[in-house]
Amino acid sequence: MSLWRYEARRAGWPACLAAPASLLAALALAAASAGFGASPPSVHGVLLSGVEALVPLAAAMAAVTVVSVDRCRELQLALPAGYSVTLGRRLGVVAGIGAALSVLFSAALRLTGSWTGPESALASALVWASPLLGLTGLALLVAVLGRSVVLATTTVAVVWLCQQLFASALAAGVWSRPFFLFMTSRVGVADGWGTNRAVLAACGVLFITTALLLLRRPERLLTEEEV
Amino acid sequence: MRSRFAAVCRYEFRMQVRKRSLWVSTVGLAVLIAVAQGDRGPRHLPAGTSAAEVMGSWALLFSMLLPIGFGMVLADRLVRDHRIGAASLLASLPTRPGALVAGKYAGSVAATAVPGLLVLLVTAAGEFAHRGDLTLFGWAVAAFAVVLLPGLAFVAAFALVCPLVVSAPLFRVLFAGYWFWGNMLGPAYLPSLTGTLLTPIGDYPASWLMGEKALYAGDSGWLSFLRPEPGGGAALLSVVLLAVLASLPLAFAGPLIARRTSS
Amino acid sequence: MDIMISGLRRRFGRVEALRGVDLEVPGGMFGLLGTNGAGKTTLMRILAGVLSPTGGRVLVGGHDLTTRAGRLAVQRRLGYLPQDLGLYPDLTTQEFLDYIGLLKGLDDDTARRRQIGELLDMVGLADVAGRRLKGFSGGMRRRVGIAQALLGDPALVVVDEPTAGLDPEERIRFRTLLAGIAGHRTVLLSTHIVEDVAQTCQEAAVMAAGRVVFTGPVTGIIDRAQGATWEVVTQGPPPATGVVVSAVGRPGGTHYRVVSPTRPDPAAVPVQPSLEEGYVALMREAVPS
Repeated sequence: MSLWRYEARRAGWPACLAAPASLLAALALAAASAGFGASPPSVHGVLLSGVEALVPLAAAMAAVTVVSVDRCRELQLALPAGYSVTLGRRLGVVAGIGAALSVLFSAALRLTGSWTGPESALASALVWASPLLGLTGLALLVAVLGRSVVLATTTVAVVWLCQQLFASALAAGVWSRPFFLFMTSRVGVADGWGTNRAVLAACGVLFITTALLLLRRPERLLTEEEV
Repeated sequence: MRSRFAAVCRYEFRMQVRKRSLWVSTVGLAVLIAVAQGDRGPRHLPAGTSAAEVMGSWALLFSMLLPIGFGMVLADRLVRDHRIGAASLLASLPTRPGALVAGKYAGSVAATAVPGLLVLLVTAAGEFAHRGDLTLFGWAVAAFAVVLLPGLAFVAAFALVCPLVVSAPLFRVLFAGYWFWGNMLGPAYLPSLTGTLLTPIGDYPASWLMGEKALYAGDSGWLSFLRPEPGGGAALLSVVLLAVLASLPLAFAGPLIARRTSS
Repeated sequence: MDIMISGLRRRFGRVEALRGVDLEVPGGMFGLLGTNGAGKTTLMRILAGVLSPTGGRVLVGGHDLTTRAGRLAVQRRLGYLPQDLGLYPDLTTQEFLDYIGLLKGLDDDTARRRQIGELLDMVGLADVAGRRLKGFSGGMRRRVGIAQALLGDPALVVVDEPTAGLDPEERIRFRTLLAGIAGHRTVLLSTHIVEDVAQTCQEAAVMAAGRVVFTGPVTGIIDRAQGATWEVVTQGPPPATGVVVSAVGRPGGTHYRVVSPTRPDPAAVPVQPSLEEGYVALMREAVPS
């Protein structure tokens, strides 16, 4: 337990605050929308975007930071604990915060009648879990392959932004639909929703596994400056 | 004083322009934009379309995504000085913090402007191959100056200074979210800055170049006083307002750096 | 824990940092000397399992470091103090050691805390155990570094340039500390400061341009300058041939100590070489300028 506490501190406050900050932004935006006369479905859509779009974005960016920044990396790589396991704990903390907040936020939306996602509890979890896994996995893989924070964060931001910009085209395409991150908030729980969630989650697991396999070579984690 | 500013600017430019990630992200994004722009993109504008409209459309398209990469590149620039121990050395120099920040800012803008301008010139060359209009190159430079450059200057100011307060990782999350909300989220859907004079993707200048509304410029919505009809005057006002806004974070940079160095 | 290295190579892009290193390190304190850029840090990192070799073989206590299992087996018995030890500034000394102890698998809370207390006493940091690492001096940081390296009672301790940048008092203190821990373990001390090796090691190796150019007793390094060390007293410029190792200005003229295979000046007299002069002679042989 104390090791997890240490790793939570190592993940850093910005990484831990990213998810709460993004949900606060969603709340603020929803309040502003309501204040300016937006219809209730629009306001509910914004709130749902908080868990489906903003929390995964925050988790993915935080994951890049966790993998890329460590003052003690050389020492960590020489320890028998295995640095990939240590990083796994830190990523677990970041993902755990995102997951816990998403569950609470979703529950609060249900209680207030603002939930427009699926009814069942498991399916509700997939609203945020699938894009979180997909985007975080992509962020990790690019961070490990490119050994560059800039490359990884740019990739995450561009993928996220392009999916927002071309939402209708991506949701309409047969091949792009399974990879569309914001299916629930932009299209709804329509045909292919389950496949979409499963594909995103599977991609995330695949990306994370590949990244972890790559991390078995310790110098993969040393940046160009450190080597 | 001026020579110190120039020296800081020159070396900042050199450091930034040598960054592999700057070029990789620019080329990657430019290729993505060129390939995945769809049927309504500038690549498919009919023959006979004016060179100003062609290059204005391209500039707007690049302006939507390229600054994302530049913002990510610059986000850890000033924070990095502290991480690698250069901040104390810089603080010990007789150059005033204001000149240092201004030099770093100007050098950073110049470094991100080079790949931005090159991308537009290469695009102009591509368009020239099938349109045969030499003025495309001139309009490429003009489109860069009024559409892309003000956005880069705006992004650079915030990307350099904000991480000193909220940390680079948190800034990157907020920046990605802001970029969508403040530039491309339709104002009819939610209250946003999209379509106002404060839109750094250059909606107003692009509309002026294209002779028609480029994206959302002037659409009715939140802060209606910032949504005049698109045109030359509005485009100029947009560029000026963005420059003024960019100077705000820079004004706080000196004290923020001094506080970090002394803590 | 003995170390056997044969034909070890490591390449970074176009740069070959190690060009076929052959070295045997017995137990006890062993010095690794070399100029900056000789490949010492790369070798230390490979021994610590931080880097993989491009070619060759490294056996530590019989474990092959080119395999993952071998690396892990060595890391379980290793204490490592890297050249650039970054510390987590938000942790106190006690917390930092506790964290590293947990990562080293010291799961028994009582035993771990007792060991941390003993190590803090040993390195003289017990009175700052509750202070955050932010703001620690270079010497204090190195002492935290050696304390973490010794957690778990490792059989092999690898320390990379531990005294660089320290004041004389702190350097002597650190050297004494290192010599004190070498009793029942192998301590590999990498440094470019000749005096550190002279004061602590009986056996040493010297690296130059990615190769080992000397292995053996420290006195063997001194022997390299026998008959090639001279003293010249002159009021004119220093001798043009050879390497000037020291220059002391005195009323009768400047006393130069010079390493040169031939008499550098008609007035030069042969003198007994020091370790530093032996090292200079060795380097001149290994990397002719």
